Amino acid sequence: MCWRSSRRFARALAPFVFVSAAIAQDAADGWRTYHGDDTGQRHSRLSQVTPANVHQMTLVWAFATGETAQIKGTPIVANGIVYVTTPDNVWAVDARSARQIWRYTYPANEGFHIGHRGVAIYKNTVYFTTPDAHLVALDAHDGKVKWNVVIADQKKGYWSTNAPLLIRDHLIVGVAGDFDNLPGMLKSIDPETGGTQWVFYSTPPPGSPGNPSDGATGGQMWMTGTYDPRLNLLFVGTGNPTPVLNGPARQGDNRWTDSIVAINPDTGKLAWGFQATRHDTHDWDAAEVPVLVDAPFNGALARLLLQASRNGYFYVLDRETGRSLLTRPFATTNWAKGVDQDGRPIPDPAKEPARDGRLVAPDESGGTNYRSPSFDPASGLLVVSAHDAYGIYFFKPDHGAYGWAGADYGVYGKSVLRAIDYKTGEIRWHHELGDGASGAGVLTTATGLTFTGDTAGNVLGLRTSDGKTLWHAAIGRVGNSPITYELDGRQFVLVGGGSSLYAWALPESSAER
Amino acid sequence: MANRVQTVPESRAALITVVSSFSWCAVFVVLSTPVAGGQQAPTAEQLQAGQRVFVAQCGFCHGRDAMGGETGPNLTRSALVRDDTTGDRIRALLREGRTDKGMPAFRLSDADVTAMIAFIHDQKTKSESPGARRSVDPSDLQTGDAARGRAYFNGTGRCATCHSATGDLAGVANRLQGLELLQRMLYPSKSRAATVSVTQRGGETVTGTLASRDEFTIALTDATGVYRSWRTSDVTFTVKNPLDAHVEQLAKYTDDDMHDVLAFLQTLR
Repeated sequence: MCWRSSRRFARALAPFVFVSAAIAQDAADGWRTYHGDDTGQRHSRLSQVTPANVHQMTLVWAFATGETAQIKGTPIVANGIVYVTTPDNVWAVDARSARQIWRYTYPANEGFHIGHRGVAIYKNTVYFTTPDAHLVALDAHDGKVKWNVVIADQKKGYWSTNAPLLIRDHLIVGVAGDFDNLPGMLKSIDPETGGTQWVFYSTPPPGSPGNPSDGATGGQMWMTGTYDPRLNLLFVGTGNPTPVLNGPARQGDNRWTDSIVAINPDTGKLAWGFQATRHDTHDWDAAEVPVLVDAPFNGALARLLLQASRNGYFYVLDRETGRSLLTRPFATTNWAKGVDQDGRPIPDPAKEPARDGRLVAPDESGGTNYRSPSFDPASGLLVVSAHDAYGIYFFKPDHGAYGWAGADYGVYGKSVLRAIDYKTGEIRWHHELGDGASGAGVLTTATGLTFTGDTAGNVLGLRTSDGKTLWHAAIGRVGNSPITYELDGRQFVLVGGGSSLYAWALPESSAER
Repeated sequence: MANRVQTVPESRAALITVVSSFSWCAVFVVLSTPVAGGQQAPTAEQLQAGQRVFVAQCGFCHGRDAMGGETGPNLTRSALVRDDTTGDRIRALLREGRTDKGMPAFRLSDADVTAMIAFIHDQKTKSESPGARRSVDPSDLQTGDAARGRAYFNGTGRCATCHSATGDLAGVANRLQGLELLQRMLYPSKSRAATVSVTQRGGETVTGTLASRDEFTIALTDATGVYRSWRTSDVTFTVKNPLDAHVEQLAKYTDDDMHDVLAFLQTLR
């Protein structure tokens, strides 16, 4: 079964070998980085669990953090150890038994405790960002602090939930800071010493010459980027401009907020930028994962970058140049009058926040959000947890020009998993996930399985070809993307429900093995 | 232009809505009436301690100043806060969470919670000064035309299919004003529960108020108040949700329609 599957998938993958061989994840070695590999595809080549046997999966272990905070990060699995986080907390857990090996608790602090995306690993060190925007290096063996450096000033309004991205000897660390008018900042840190190697600003720091962002601040890079070693480019999504809802205070496009930026990881220099939303007035960060795919486009093999963005649009870019190849909505939108020649939606001024309120889709939480999508190379589908939602947006001069500077309220929303054909932007299938916003990201595997969560607290195993449900379990709301890894010859599927982590696998006696 | 997504007629709209300010703010606005405060003035130290805890634990969703942040409501305009002079309701809410609305439970010390409640009430007092930063005042919302709104209500909007200006909506402008009225008009969360009719394999049909629904389980509360659930694969069922029409209308309203209907509702005194 497995052998036949892999042969069949090898054939199916033939056009994509270019990408798979070069940079795809070797999940047999764990799940060592936030996205699982450099590409951000969240696609695993493990093939033991299949559409035919997924219904036999059984719970191997559950790990309860005992905290009230939901697990919103990606567990990192390396050397048989699972590292899982919530704000201020890291647990190292035996990937076989769920036995806690160590726990690290960061001292009480005043940063926002909203969520945490996970750790990074380099040699024998675990790197952890904190609500007060520090980066802490922990000994992977015992959780003892090696060093602790400040990434950004919490007193100014920065915080961090970021899972750092390791590129050779650069640890790329991002911060957030929407409630103050702060420049968007991304740092490269020396993983050995904690020293700063470079700082990239998406909007100019105070005192910069010129006015490249038209008076806007913001553009925080709070999500983990992706990397193409052949181009030696780091791709990161930037957040919304500040003041958030006050557009008149910052007339213009407000570069490079709500953008995908390509950065040289050795120098921190910008190679190109593409703005997903110009002059955003709705908090639509383009921080979502820039997914790297090498695949045919318009008849030729191309180096692509895909993003399902918070503003409800799906983008395909040429990642060598940043040139737009395709722009198409994947969730309900009503804010744009069309798409310009550069592939950017044209904001409808009538949908800017106003004194009397404007009904806008999507709402502030967006057509999608930090939850990761997954790209399945065999089918060419980007599977995205989408959100069809309306909000009402208000701004009047009394709201000022600092921080949020306006008011907005969600009206109604529902979640739908959508499988986007990367060549056309068409929705190949959809799967209803329920009213409200699902926090669950997506994992696809080489046997044609898709894992995600609904808004009712079920983890779902679907068939990637058509979205049909093959397996589910009610574990509480899934706040992260499921991952998979192989240990002792057995494929595990790991997912957080509520504040606990659950590991499934086929029964040890399964004939499938 | 917009990718029109099929709206599936279903759902627990009444039970689980988007994590929105409206969903748990406005509900309390409607249910409660103002009560005079009267607690002891907190000390500056207490307020500072309360602010520290509030910012760290609540600030992202509710704003550092408690006036609303990402996804969470403005607590200084919350009727729960207004009425909870003893702090008991906020304590209970923190203990239980509102996980269906995206709010986790919190395990905080009594001292921290007391200080935090003092901070929220202090922010509420500050927010009542003129020109508060994120306020939406009833006077901001007076751009509609009531006559056009009446025509839309009875015509294009088909509001009159379910509602009547002299029936259920008579005097609505006395009960709700400004932003609350607008929010309830767009999506009156929890105002009317969905009903469900479940037919079991033997042919027996049970009807009741929809209690919960997902892909795998359907649950209702029957006329005697008993909760019952089934696997969706074992039964057939039909959900009637009066809020579905509100969801469909969201895609149809122009902003002018919305303001006009609001203007019309404001005449129903």
